Amino acid sequence: MNENSPALAVENLRKNFGTLEVLKGISLAARERDVVSILGSSGSGKSTFLRCINLLETPTSGEVHFKGERIEMRERANGERVPCDRKQVDRIRSRLAMVFQQFNLWTHMTVLQNVMEAPVHVLKIAKNEARERALEMLDKVDMSERRDYYPSHLSGGQQQRAAIARALAMEPEVMLFDEPTSALDPELVGEVLKVMRGLAEEGRTMLVVTHEMGFAREVSDRVVFLHQGRKEEDGAPAEVFESPKSERFRQFLAGNLK
Amino acid sequence: MDFAAIIGNLDLYLQGLWVTVQLVALALVIGLALAVPLALAASARRVWVNFLPHAFIYCFRGTPLLVQIYLIYYGLGQFAAVRESFLWPVLSEAYWCALISFALNTAAYTGEIIRGAMAQTPAGEIEAARACGMSPAMTYRRVILPSAFRRALPAYGNEVIFMLHGSALAGIITIVDLFGAARIVNSRHFVPFESYITAGFFYLCMTFLIVWAFKFIERHWHAHLKPLRG
Repeated sequence: MNENSPALAVENLRKNFGTLEVLKGISLAARERDVVSILGSSGSGKSTFLRCINLLETPTSGEVHFKGERIEMRERANGERVPCDRKQVDRIRSRLAMVFQQFNLWTHMTVLQNVMEAPVHVLKIAKNEARERALEMLDKVDMSERRDYYPSHLSGGQQQRAAIARALAMEPEVMLFDEPTSALDPELVGEVLKVMRGLAEEGRTMLVVTHEMGFAREVSDRVVFLHQGRKEEDGAPAEVFESPKSERFRQFLAGNLK
Repeated sequence: MDFAAIIGNLDLYLQGLWVTVQLVALALVIGLALAVPLALAASARRVWVNFLPHAFIYCFRGTPLLVQIYLIYYGLGQFAAVRESFLWPVLSEAYWCALISFALNTAAYTGEIIRGAMAQTPAGEIEAARACGMSPAMTYRRVILPSAFRRALPAYGNEVIFMLHGSALAGIITIVDLFGAARIVNSRHFVPFESYITAGFFYLCMTFLIVWAFKFIERHWHAHLKPLRG
């Protein structure tokens, strides 16, 4: 691991589901403190791309490097690719938090229990310390008052903020957001985006799959546009939005920026 | 109606009640302890792991409890190999045979209840566990099983009541449980209605306790499913 290596590097990532080629060789490197927005219409492979990074989906080929450390993969006899070392994957996942479209809070635990769970059981942090950290994170996402609520008793926006606190409690080096506002009512989107904006300002490294053009344009350092499993556009938001190189992205923007 | 015979034999009923409570409690504890690994193995993806648990569950759910007791108590004794084995002191006792068949029977039903509940764990919750670095074993321990146990609770409450009522079959293979006590009282005094309604009354009381206990557990375990009050 050397100092100059990017926080996260993906090289020539491909993913097939059966004969369907969802990702056709995507490379992307994110430096520390980078906020990268990944745009694309549905079916462009952007969620799959994000899920390949923490191996919720196993890439068909290509490499993922986290902090200069390559996730080692091998091929089974039946051609299926699997990680060589499950422990390596678990360890990297614990430093690479993910926020899901459907929040995916553990429904049988209160908000506070959700946030304390992984620090206590994965990172093996003492309970009282984890509790303190959890309360701090809940405060950051403005959910302290709801800490003893169960997820089913919260609005979507509150659940998503709790899920962000859960991710933050792991003190992750990189955060992955998989369409964090797509399942929310329009009036709840703002509260989640506000929290994410705050995280970006703290200098966290974030990869955000999103449909929120405002967020991509104003908050991110870089915008990547995927179309049919290929990277069509990649650059600073100002240049990408002002003078898109790809025709596809121009069409996409025309559809989105009415 | 003549309840004098019942009053006179109350101690016999209470002894029977105690045997029933013992049998059912032991069977449930053993059954539950077997059911969890059974459910885990039955939900395994590999056929050579899930085949035997599935066959076990299928056979014990597919045959009447009475047949199972008869096979274990009367059936096994037919074989010299069993009679000469070290297991014979256990298998020649009606009490142990009843306990074995009850425990295996409830293990099969409970295993299936838990397996079904595990299968219903929302995929997103499992993904969230994996995504924060939990191993598969920890995901089972911290997310899938606790969530499945909660979902399984109402069905398991039913299973406990069935087990209590099914335990009356012990009275048929010479055990003086609650039902066995009623049979003895009836044969001594020829008051079938009074002797069996008394047994029924005791079963009813125990069912009430079980229902109440499950209500109590549900209040704590199902807090996340209840609508929010004020």
